[in-house]
Amino acid sequence: MKARKREKRRAAKPVRETYVFRLFVAGNESNSSQARGNVARLCEERIKGRYKIEVVDVLKDVSSAHKNKVLVTPTLILIKPLPKVTVLGNLNDTKQVIAALRLNGDER
Amino acid sequence: MEEAEKLIHALRTQQVDAIVGERHIMLVRLKQAEENLKSSRNQLRALASYLLSARENERAVIARELHDEFGQGLTSLQLGLSWISRKLTPGQQPLQKKIKSLSATTTNLMRSVKNIASELRPGVLNELGLVKTLKSEAREFEGHTGIRCRFKTNTAKAKFDRSAAVAIFRIVQAALTNIARHAHASRAHIALTKRKNGVTLTVTDNGKGISRKLVYGHDSLGITGMRERALALGGTFTLGGSGSSKGTILTVQIPLSRVIIGPASSRSRNTPQF
Repeated sequence: MKARKREKRRAAKPVRETYVFRLFVAGNESNSSQARGNVARLCEERIKGRYKIEVVDVLKDVSSAHKNKVLVTPTLILIKPLPKVTVLGNLNDTKQVIAALRLNGDER
Repeated sequence: MEEAEKLIHALRTQQVDAIVGERHIMLVRLKQAEENLKSSRNQLRALASYLLSARENERAVIARELHDEFGQGLTSLQLGLSWISRKLTPGQQPLQKKIKSLSATTTNLMRSVKNIASELRPGVLNELGLVKTLKSEAREFEGHTGIRCRFKTNTAKAKFDRSAAVAIFRIVQAALTNIARHAHASRAHIALTKRKNGVTLTVTDNGKGISRKLVYGHDSLGITGMRERALALGGTFTLGGSGSSKGTILTVQIPLSRVIIGPASSRSRNTPQF
């Protein structure tokens, strides 16, 4: 009986995964700065405490951009949870970014 | 969205800061650069316009000073010489001769002053208006140089804004000077044509033509001046071969709004017209 209850509770509360992002920027250029701000804001609003953002400045580390096949900045890559997603641009279009990164309601 | 589509969208919406190449990072401040360029272009245009108007005003002041100071001084000198001449006795032949020569020099000086003053300030533009002034300019050019010069227009009854009239006149003057000095031409043609959206001025000749280097050279001050005047009016300026085997063609296009053509009654009384 107890075991069943425990199982029920587990099913109702899904495991909350940590989101891992990698954001490629070009120093403090306008779009890069906007992308930085937008991704941080969205994560705070949608997945507070369950995210990790790794910012890569291509002006300092170009090899990382090459490795990740990044062609332009800003580029945001959702590394985890899989599947990987890449979003280009300053991330100003909140609705589209949320949909692309799978940050819609059910994960809250 | 496909990767390529995403890339194109980001580029089109100017959300891209840098392009990551094989070895280089190319920063692209598209929007910012575009805005900066636009703003500098407007500033340059305003500056050119201000400089030209300042130059015209300065010229007018110099012309007036020349006319008033030198003109009157030389007239007094002429009268004085004539008075001395009348006082001389028949025995003072060498003196009489000298006075005659000085009087001739004074007359030449008076003519020169008048020419310089009218060159500095085209008073004829005020009196006759642009079209008649250009006609007279073509006639005078033919008379001075022997190069056959014709003027054609469909704007005979049009009224021109003062700054536009001065600019067009100065461009024609400079173009004709260049033809006389450099073109080795036997024929020149000036056309001032009103079109749907603006006024087109063309000055052509059948001379030796002009090289690209000269057209865009920094030392070609006359050409630079003409270009500045056209740009200050929001127009365009082109200079090059006439397309046929020989000659040069200069084309200036000015938007109608900057030239103000039409019956005098339809515009503000404060706007000077020519």
